[in-house]
Amino acid sequence: MTAAASMTIATAEDLARRGVVGAAVAACHEALAIDDRDARVHALIAHLMLEGDFYDEAIAAATRAIETDPDCSPAYLALGLAYDRRGGMWDQSVLVWHELAEVEPDLVTAHVQLGEAFAAAAFEEEALESWQRALELDPTEARATYNLAIASLKREGMALALPLFRKAGELDPSQDELFFALAGAAEDVPPPADPAEVGPTREVRCAAALASLRAEDLFGAADFVRLVLDEDADDAEALALAAYAYLKQQAYNEAMACSLKALSVAPTLPTALYSLGVVYARRPGLDRHAARVFITLARQAGAHALVHVLLAESLLGLQRYEQAGKAYRSAVRLDPACVRARFGLAAAHLTAGRHAEAQWEISRAAYYDTKRQGLFWRLYDAYAAGGERP
Amino acid sequence: MSDERTPSAVPADASGPASPDVGGAAISASEAQATAPAASPAPRSNPRFPVGVDYHPIDAERASAVEWYEADTAADVAAISRTHLSLVRLFVSWPALEPQVGQYDHDAEDRLADLLEAVRARQMKAIVCFFADDRLAEMNDVPWGRKRDLRTDDYLLQREIALVQRIVNRFRTESAVWAWELGNEAFFAGFTREEDLEAWAQAMREAIREVDTARAIVFGAGVETLVRECGVDARGVRDGFEYGVSRVTAPYRAYAAEGPLTYGPATYLDSFVLRAGGTAVPTIADGIGVHALDVSVAEEAAYTRVALYSALMNGAAGAVLRRWRDVETERREPYFRDPYEVLVGLNDTAGQPKPVRTEAARFARTVAHFDLRRYERVPERAAVLVPAERYEPLPSLAGLYDPRSCLQAYIAAKEAHLPVDLVREGEDLDGLMTVIVPSAGTLLAATWSALAAFVRSGGSLVLSYGGGDADPAVRELFGVEFLGDQGVRRTLACRVAQPGLVGDLAAFDAQLDLPHYAALGSSGATVVATDATGSPLLTVHQYGQGRTVFLAAPLERAIAQSDPWAAPDAVRHMLRTIYGAIASAAGAGPVIDCDQPQVEVAVWNGETADVVMALSHAAEDLTATLTADRVVASVTDITGGAVVDVGAKAFGVPLGPNGAAALRIVYR
Repeated sequence: MTAAASMTIATAEDLARRGVVGAAVAACHEALAIDDRDARVHALIAHLMLEGDFYDEAIAAATRAIETDPDCSPAYLALGLAYDRRGGMWDQSVLVWHELAEVEPDLVTAHVQLGEAFAAAAFEEEALESWQRALELDPTEARATYNLAIASLKREGMALALPLFRKAGELDPSQDELFFALAGAAEDVPPPADPAEVGPTREVRCAAALASLRAEDLFGAADFVRLVLDEDADDAEALALAAYAYLKQQAYNEAMACSLKALSVAPTLPTALYSLGVVYARRPGLDRHAARVFITLARQAGAHALVHVLLAESLLGLQRYEQAGKAYRSAVRLDPACVRARFGLAAAHLTAGRHAEAQWEISRAAYYDTKRQGLFWRLYDAYAAGGERP
Repeated sequence: MSDERTPSAVPADASGPASPDVGGAAISASEAQATAPAASPAPRSNPRFPVGVDYHPIDAERASAVEWYEADTAADVAAISRTHLSLVRLFVSWPALEPQVGQYDHDAEDRLADLLEAVRARQMKAIVCFFADDRLAEMNDVPWGRKRDLRTDDYLLQREIALVQRIVNRFRTESAVWAWELGNEAFFAGFTREEDLEAWAQAMREAIREVDTARAIVFGAGVETLVRECGVDARGVRDGFEYGVSRVTAPYRAYAAEGPLTYGPATYLDSFVLRAGGTAVPTIADGIGVHALDVSVAEEAAYTRVALYSALMNGAAGAVLRRWRDVETERREPYFRDPYEVLVGLNDTAGQPKPVRTEAARFARTVAHFDLRRYERVPERAAVLVPAERYEPLPSLAGLYDPRSCLQAYIAAKEAHLPVDLVREGEDLDGLMTVIVPSAGTLLAATWSALAAFVRSGGSLVLSYGGGDADPAVRELFGVEFLGDQGVRRTLACRVAQPGLVGDLAAFDAQLDLPHYAALGSSGATVVATDATGSPLLTVHQYGQGRTVFLAAPLERAIAQSDPWAAPDAVRHMLRTIYGAIASAAGAGPVIDCDQPQVEVAVWNGETADVVMALSHAAEDLTATLTADRVVASVTDITGGAVVDVGAKAFGVPLGPNGAAALRIVYR
């Protein structure tokens, strides 16, 4: 490879990583003018076209990359995603994900996508196997769990699917972020290195407790909360923080007690409503109360998509599917990239027999999930590091 | 508006079917209704807006190409007639008619003659299509062609001319033939050069004209979809024909509006493609129907209803549905889905009617009652400008971004209920009062001059920044100083600085990926809205006798490139408010206003009454309040029924999911 070609590719890569799509595409074409047999460049174009949702162009470029080098794993990824997102090309999609799963056997997403391609082609058993394989590789893979839940809903009904939806929801790390957003916690505040240096005021201690909770230092957080409660046992915010700390330790009774105490002081405190709602949702027998709590929370903090998701999930449990669908739709309106809401909405559609709309939500969930993962660059970097052509 | 002031003036029948999941028996019911004895015979078709269907020669994957129209065609034609369709497209198979070089199969020709006779016997008309490519029937694959390219090979061209002239000559006095047609989308997509396409089309057209100087000739591909498919711009060629077609192809849908069919962008795509082809020649809305089997039959029917009404409401010269019968596919491992399965029809493989056939019949009956000679569609005074850069190939991204941006602008204008058209850069702006330029990267120098002249003489111009350096003309025309591109933003914030100046704008913060944001300084324009930091978002400027509006961000492209099905309501509201307010002030606003953005409204003016059509792009029930500028005395469904007294300027129209209403309005 000439120095000029290397430099042009490096420029294209840099522009593509920064999302400067137009200039990146131009640089790629410049690189192709020097050497049109570099799979990396074709893979880059495929990725850029995919980012712009130009699927036919992405398919063409990815196919060219694979023709140039059949081991170009980022091109397989781009090709498979382009097939899936374009729709109507499930058979080709199955082949591509099969291939990628062989080239990159530990790539969880390949198995999840393969399962979805199988499901779209009505190969249900193969789909289930693929998702289970994905969960073997990564038990915390939420999308595989959601897909299993959807498959269960189709085959066995909501009663048996609901536990899987709940399990998938619990895998969602963004739910913790919701609590911190409700509490007004700043994202970039580290937990105090030395608790003794934390100021003696209530506000400072509460902030330190929040920072400790975010860092999952539950005992540190408990110390700060205790200091606040020693001064005022009815401090609702501190009680809500304590409830959350208990919730994280799955000490549901204690979490419930603290939340209820906080709400007796401040009946609409969002953090307390959150913890109480989550506890209710997770406790058999109490889950029917969760919806009422989340309705109140939605009134208090309706700008957060996940609040509507929590409400919708509790409504699903009550078999109020139409209302659940409305809540899910509110969540999607607030955050179109909310995978959890998309799958939930798909479930609500399925209960109403609206299969096409359900399939659309599932495909959008896949769309946003794969966009979020940024897998292309991982595969690309590995390929570029090991795939230098002489 | 209260119920008292907005009487629900529409008979229940006009709201479209209460539920689209009509079973197969419904077609019999509707047929029975249509054929029941009545005081005066109901019109069967509308010569000014024929509704038809593609009648494919083969409907089973296992059938061979030589079985061309060997099924019971007379029975099918009778059934097509009973569905109130007045037009049928027939496909000429070259290998069936000329199995050996120069040796024509007389039996095959007679089969075509019989078919045309059956069409004539039913008082229907036929489009006879040459060189359509549908893969299944292999209508262009002559075994003696030796893999020569039938588009460019001189020898094959001569043979094609001979075939065309032979068929046209035989049937030139056949009254059932309404038009001859050349090619279809799949055939023309095989061209890679405009010169080749032009030469082929010219040769075939002249071949027909040598024999038949009377009948219309149809160019069988949509220019908008064709340029997307193969990069060939066929506008010039198409404009030499009497009729063109527009057709939403599966690849175009995947590119422009991949998503649910019964709400959102997909429901506007058919009319967008129709208008994008231009109005130089009358255009038939063709290939109406779904492309995949992953929608229910109810959704299929609802989508088809929207596409059919869209065609009528947006000035098509007719409508043709994409297939009479589903293709019977072979069930084989490993995949049951087959490319041919996407050729879905009005009937299932056994010939049983599907709900979509009921829709087609109902629409055809409605159209038949609409005497288009007595009414004239309200002309469009607003237009979305399609930039010339749209035709640039990669690495320019304009060819990919612009059509989507234009589609979103078109949707926003429709949501503002503007009678809106598409105008291509370089075309005359005469007759327009408002021009919208959505998120264009660059415009030609001549276009800037034309836009300046347009505004100076009283027109309104709305332009959204599309990235890159702004043209120097922006300073004078829009009264803003372009200070550079602030780059990518993740949220759009709007703070209204001048309430009421451009419609009813409201402040909001919305998540939307903006690829660009222009930093602006004032050079005479009034800042109507800013972002959260005070940087101008929307400006208005008086220029000559007209007004210009500059949007600092490419909102149309941002909506198109993010998630058009989940675009923030606030952003959509802002866009349609801007378009609506500016167009209304310029005299290009809605003739009849509507309170529901998802309801499209079209108006035809008549001497004693107007006709209004309302079409819901929503998948749920709604009631649209239509408001005229005069007091409406009464409203009647155009298919008949009771006269409903209104006595107010506004009246309510209940619409089912994707429902449509066609009303005759008499003013006081």
